[in-house]
Amino acid sequence: MKTIKRSLAGLLAVVFFSFEGTAQFGQDNALKFGGNLYIDHRVRTENGEWSWNENRLDLSLEKNFNNKAALYGNIWLRSFGFPTLTNSDQLFNKEEISPYDIDIREAYIDLYGFLLKDLDLRIGRQRIAWGTGDRINPTDNLNPDDLEDIWDFGRHLGSDAIKLDYYFSGLRLEAVYLPFFKPAVLPRGDWAEALEPPLDLPPAIQLRKISDSLVTPGYKIGESSSYGARIGGFLAGYDLSMSYVYGRDDLPLQFYNQVLLVEAPATIDIKSRLYFPRQHVFGADMSGAIGSIGVWGEVGVFLPEKSTVMKTDLSALGFPDIDSVVLKKEAYARYVVGGDYTFADGSYLNLQFFHGFVTERGRGNLNDYFMLSWEKDFFNRKLKINPLAGAFIVADWEDIPGNHAWVYNPSISYYPNINTEINLGYRAIGGEGDNMFALVKKKDEVFLSFRFDF
Amino acid sequence: MKKIIISTLALLACVAMLSGQDASTIVERCDSVTYAPEDQVNKIKMILTDKKGRTQEREAIAKQMGNDYRLFRFTAPASQEGVAFLSLPDDVMYLYLPAYNKSRRIASHVKNQNFAGTDLSYEDMESVPMSEKYDAKLLETNEEGHLLELTYKPGRKSDYSKMVTLIDKDNYTILQSDYYDKGGNKVKALKNEKIENIGGYWIITDMLMTDLKKDHSTQMIFSETKVDTGLTRDDFSLRILERGF
Repeated sequence: MKTIKRSLAGLLAVVFFSFEGTAQFGQDNALKFGGNLYIDHRVRTENGEWSWNENRLDLSLEKNFNNKAALYGNIWLRSFGFPTLTNSDQLFNKEEISPYDIDIREAYIDLYGFLLKDLDLRIGRQRIAWGTGDRINPTDNLNPDDLEDIWDFGRHLGSDAIKLDYYFSGLRLEAVYLPFFKPAVLPRGDWAEALEPPLDLPPAIQLRKISDSLVTPGYKIGESSSYGARIGGFLAGYDLSMSYVYGRDDLPLQFYNQVLLVEAPATIDIKSRLYFPRQHVFGADMSGAIGSIGVWGEVGVFLPEKSTVMKTDLSALGFPDIDSVVLKKEAYARYVVGGDYTFADGSYLNLQFFHGFVTERGRGNLNDYFMLSWEKDFFNRKLKINPLAGAFIVADWEDIPGNHAWVYNPSISYYPNINTEINLGYRAIGGEGDNMFALVKKKDEVFLSFRFDF
Repeated sequence: MKKIIISTLALLACVAMLSGQDASTIVERCDSVTYAPEDQVNKIKMILTDKKGRTQEREAIAKQMGNDYRLFRFTAPASQEGVAFLSLPDDVMYLYLPAYNKSRRIASHVKNQNFAGTDLSYEDMESVPMSEKYDAKLLETNEEGHLLELTYKPGRKSDYSKMVTLIDKDNYTILQSDYYDKGGNKVKALKNEKIENIGGYWIITDMLMTDLKKDHSTQMIFSETKVDTGLTRDDFSLRILERGF
């Protein structure tokens, strides 16, 4: 065993030292270290309750080996959230008083001209960002969503993957293999409740507790792995690409409910089981300009591998089981179209429409979102205002007053120096109906964030 | 009398044509000097100065091949490190933002905006020969050089209406350029403060762009300039833009 390890170490040494040599111009082979400090505090205007406390040290390092290979790593060290102290024993535990976490976002190695001159290999934990939409990318399905902060939608976790990029005839062909499945991180607090499916119980029934268990894929090639490919190029003034992914939905889907009678006559517990269904995703995207307006479009067509039928076991109450289809084996499309424009005075307008938020699944369950943002900077970019920022969500076109939501999110940013940004803003949410955003209405908050790059 | 008028008009037309032709020749010669090296690479230090005299520094590395290919990447400060810009033939430009792991085509509405807080717009950064972009008119030739008025060729869009450019009589390098808006107001001034002969080519090594409206300037000092290094088209691709030099 030791011999194998020694041989491996020797091989790695040969590989890396063979890259060392006389650096060409523009190549910086030194180990680079950088990152940023990000502090984000939010408070609810309704009751003065702190809703967010994040202190993040985002550290990156990279090393280039004469443009033949490169190493990259990115790690978050965070003091995050609030302690939930209920008894004095917890005061002996520093982690309980000051919650923290470490997140290895990316850690990979690139090998350029791997085997073939025009072939690059990236191996390790990496972010594979596909799509042209602005933070809403229906084709971006290889990395799981990181919905921890719902306002930072579009954020994804890194995935352990092998990626090959082949360049030919002005085209780029990407092939990706992910050996392990990783689910999405779900949002915290009120947003988590908004994501729960509505539960309609007869008036006489009282629910005491809901619990669930996850059925996760085993760590076997056939069960846990995903793969995808994408080809893109430039045609008739537009960047175009097509993609395909075979993987699992990163959000769990309920497929079994067991109703347990815990106290006669009608107090019940519900035990649920959830799984991560397999799916095919066919994608296409474009970006370019029409006249002087920047435009983009992106569509992901999702085809679940099988229908998911949720079985509700009511035998404890003496009723027959109920089966209901929660996700049909039928294709549904999430798509985005958008445009942006910079006016002569330097102000910037961004408009985007999308059908289907990252948490929405299945034909008929996708809402329509209209997003707008207009910003302008002053004093040589020392100050930026974003007074018009928000979204309008239509959940039911036949009953807009009864099922809609809106978000208004103005902010002002101050840049005391080139590496520092202080951002103050407000988020107001309103609406009606059972759509996710309407369910968290009246949770308005003020936020103050600080970022320093180094 | 009619004959005299016609002859005079014909003479004026000939003079105009001749002066136009001269101007075009000057511009073409200037292009041939500007793009004489097969390629060039250099480090750039930018000093941004506002109207109160406060300065900010930025650093970048740049490479250029012929008159169509240019790649520019910030190396400092930390908040902009890795931001890169690629200019390709046919007005195709890409911006790479490392925070998003993506490169994006720059639509024409962005081309008139300042590049990353400097006083140079994306259009100023693009690599297009003057003879392709402008119709030239010789205003005068004096001791300093040839003074030309450059107006955009039909079909070319810009927030500028024209440029007035002074070209060195001897080596045909650009000495200075004044940029005018659609209202005819001078809005920017470029002065090439230092021009050196490197490897047999005339290369600008120190330039100052001033935004006259904002009273803000960007000085660009070029160093470690190398020419004819053997760059190829592959060095100006999205592949390179996204992975670095």
